Amino acid sequence: MGAYIVRRIAQGLVVLLLVSFICFVIFQYMGDPAWALAGRYATPEQLEMVRKKLGLDKPFYIQYLIFLRNALHGNFGMSFVSRLPAMQLILERLPATFELALMAMLIAVTFGVGLGVLVSVAPNSPASRLIMAGSLLGISIPTFLTGILLIMVFAVDLRWFPPFGRGEVVRIFGNWRSGLLTWDGLKHLILPAITLSTYQLAVLLRLTRAGMMEVLGEEYIKTAWAKGLPQRAVLFKHALRNALIPVVTMIGLQFGELIAFSIVTETVFQWPGMGNLLLSAIFESDQPVIVSYITFVSLVILFLNLLVDILYVFINPKIRYV
Amino acid sequence: MRKLGLLLLVFGLSLGVAAGAQTIEKVVIGLSAPPRTMDPHGSDADSNLSIMSNIFDGLARRDVDGKLLPGLAVSWERVDAVTWRFRLRKGVKFHNGNDFTWEDVAFTFQRLKDPEVSEFLATGNLVKSVEPVDGDPWTIDIVTTRPVAWFVQNLHQIFIMDKESTEARSRGEVASYPIGTGPYKFVEWIRGDHLTLVANEDYWGGPPPVKKVIFKEIVDSFTRLAAIETGTVDIIQDIPLELFDRAKANPNLSIITRPARRGMFLGMKQTPDYPMHDVRVRKAIYMAINVQELIDKVMFGHASPAAQIADPPTVGYNPEIKRFPYDPEEAKRLLAEAGYPNGFSVTLKAPTDRYPRDEETAEAIAKQLAKVGIKVTLDAKPKAMYFPEVTHHDVELYYLGWFDGAYSAMRTFTKLVHSYDKERGYGLFNAGDISDKLLDYLIEQSDTIVDPELYVEWSQMTNRIAFEWKVVYIPLFYLEDSYAVYKPSGIKFTPRPDTWMTIVDVIQP
Repeated sequence: MGAYIVRRIAQGLVVLLLVSFICFVIFQYMGDPAWALAGRYATPEQLEMVRKKLGLDKPFYIQYLIFLRNALHGNFGMSFVSRLPAMQLILERLPATFELALMAMLIAVTFGVGLGVLVSVAPNSPASRLIMAGSLLGISIPTFLTGILLIMVFAVDLRWFPPFGRGEVVRIFGNWRSGLLTWDGLKHLILPAITLSTYQLAVLLRLTRAGMMEVLGEEYIKTAWAKGLPQRAVLFKHALRNALIPVVTMIGLQFGELIAFSIVTETVFQWPGMGNLLLSAIFESDQPVIVSYITFVSLVILFLNLLVDILYVFINPKIRYV
Repeated sequence: MRKLGLLLLVFGLSLGVAAGAQTIEKVVIGLSAPPRTMDPHGSDADSNLSIMSNIFDGLARRDVDGKLLPGLAVSWERVDAVTWRFRLRKGVKFHNGNDFTWEDVAFTFQRLKDPEVSEFLATGNLVKSVEPVDGDPWTIDIVTTRPVAWFVQNLHQIFIMDKESTEARSRGEVASYPIGTGPYKFVEWIRGDHLTLVANEDYWGGPPPVKKVIFKEIVDSFTRLAAIETGTVDIIQDIPLELFDRAKANPNLSIITRPARRGMFLGMKQTPDYPMHDVRVRKAIYMAINVQELIDKVMFGHASPAAQIADPPTVGYNPEIKRFPYDPEEAKRLLAEAGYPNGFSVTLKAPTDRYPRDEETAEAIAKQLAKVGIKVTLDAKPKAMYFPEVTHHDVELYYLGWFDGAYSAMRTFTKLVHSYDKERGYGLFNAGDISDKLLDYLIEQSDTIVDPELYVEWSQMTNRIAFEWKVVYIPLFYLEDSYAVYKPSGIKFTPRPDTWMTIVDVIQP
């Protein structure tokens, strides 16, 4: 187990190196940030001065090595746009994204697993067919469209929810501002969380249904029915527990994805999270912020994957890592 | 009784506007472009200067018509070609209580030279010294390294910072917590969400009528429109062309538009190996473009024809310059006369993500030119790839927009029209390699003209020669700025030409 974890961490580091290297290759085609930074009326001499100051005059592999050296010291550079430490900018946006992802996950798990069980019990009922068709829709509608539709119906027409932003937040500790503790904050959270959850909800639903259908055909379930156990006990105690293993894996992986892929949702709802920051950073060629974001999100995903692998052992004692 | 008093107070507050109390409690503004930094020198983007103009003052300021007015300087004169004399405003305090002095001015111009903090390197490096005159700390001379006629025209966007607190604080703090002399004080900035300002009751221009301003960042244009439709914000910038009709149909919104400062134009490669070297060919292209059709069909009417690049508030804008009429027959004749009776082939480059409907405009131009026999290959690409090609002068025909932050046509010309000269910083954006000795001379000499009236006339003349006689660029149209105001808020809004949301100017109680 220990050796396995060490190996996984080593693999993760290689992935991180690769990811950041690809970033630097892409930066070569993103335009010259010196133009924006020196001002439109700068002379070529001043442009050169700015490039030198930022190290942009060096060949890109040198820039990359300098980045690696600084990154190892926890320094991810200054944002070209706000001239503040890039990692600080990312981390101050983390609470917003984390809370959004958490709420979306909650919705996806509750309804995904719940409806999945429901559908598996009576797979041929009209209600089940409707739910399954709906889940296809959830997988195929692009996120931005879901967001726009929700805003149009529930914010503009019905006025139930605010159309954008995070609403009232309270500082819980340090710089962590939470929107989960105020009524206003929660109201702001609902629409973006639903938007972000639709895809994952549909995936979980289909996964739960498939698992349940398989398990429900097993002999021990028939035995449970034959014993005369109540339906609730059979479904949740016997069947769901065994159908849940792939679902739990999926939840772990999805949480990382929710954090990483909240970009569209955050943009549509002007949610002040990391995805929103990434998009404006891309728009302004703010390279230090882009590479910090990608490094950070890669770290989160790698960590969650590892966590899922470890949790596996506890859920299913049959699994061993060597 | 106390309860009743409180109730009346609340009632009174909510009726603040209607009661004619001349104050507005709160205005919420939906910004299309988020503020970049709270360092007034850290960004030369209008979206950022717009915010900074509420917290800081320049030596000069501009009103809603773009007119230059006294700011932290009460008056100024150009003593000689390189010396500007300013009389400073007395009794002004920064938001931290520090007095405004000449040393703050000297500090500010010094700071502009530092690439670590400043995007105004060009302005900073123009200034040689800032000194009091004859020991009088309220009269200063700013000496420039070379004659610059438009120097003072630029000062509304050079915001004066407090020397003491800026030096004492870390760079990160200066970029996060601004301290200025302006009509509003900083409260908080939650990046990606909102920026809150409160009125500076001790402002030298009098207490501002709007007591609290909240700028909300709403980058997505659909969401921005949804925000104002629900009354979550009072004013928004930039209604997207695609949603314009929807906004207009909403009875709760009043839509305000005005011509943007940015003039769109077509640049042409003018070295001897290109047909556009011949002024007749340039004129032919000009006359082959039906600009009204571009405005009506491509821009849905949200643009106005331009006969020059400068807009009316710009010094050097010449109302006498007229567009050449749309006349494809004359264009064909000119092409034949120039030796191209069957036209020629040329590539038109344009960005796809920089200006409203940029790619569509370029496509339409290509089709119009085809009608007179000019075969255009369209090469449209993202701005990150397009702009480096422009600055490397790697173009034949290209679509670009420009406006001058210092409201000076001649400053624009130093970048767009003057022959390329790396040493002196001329012609960096002269991607078509225009090289005209007369224009070079007129542009260079303009800076030495001390008499302001002669300078205006000189600039207007140079402008007219460039567009009517030399046809160095083909002006197309000015874009349009648009705003929506939520009617039930009762706010009266007048936009500025530079799109700045300077609250004391744009909102009338």
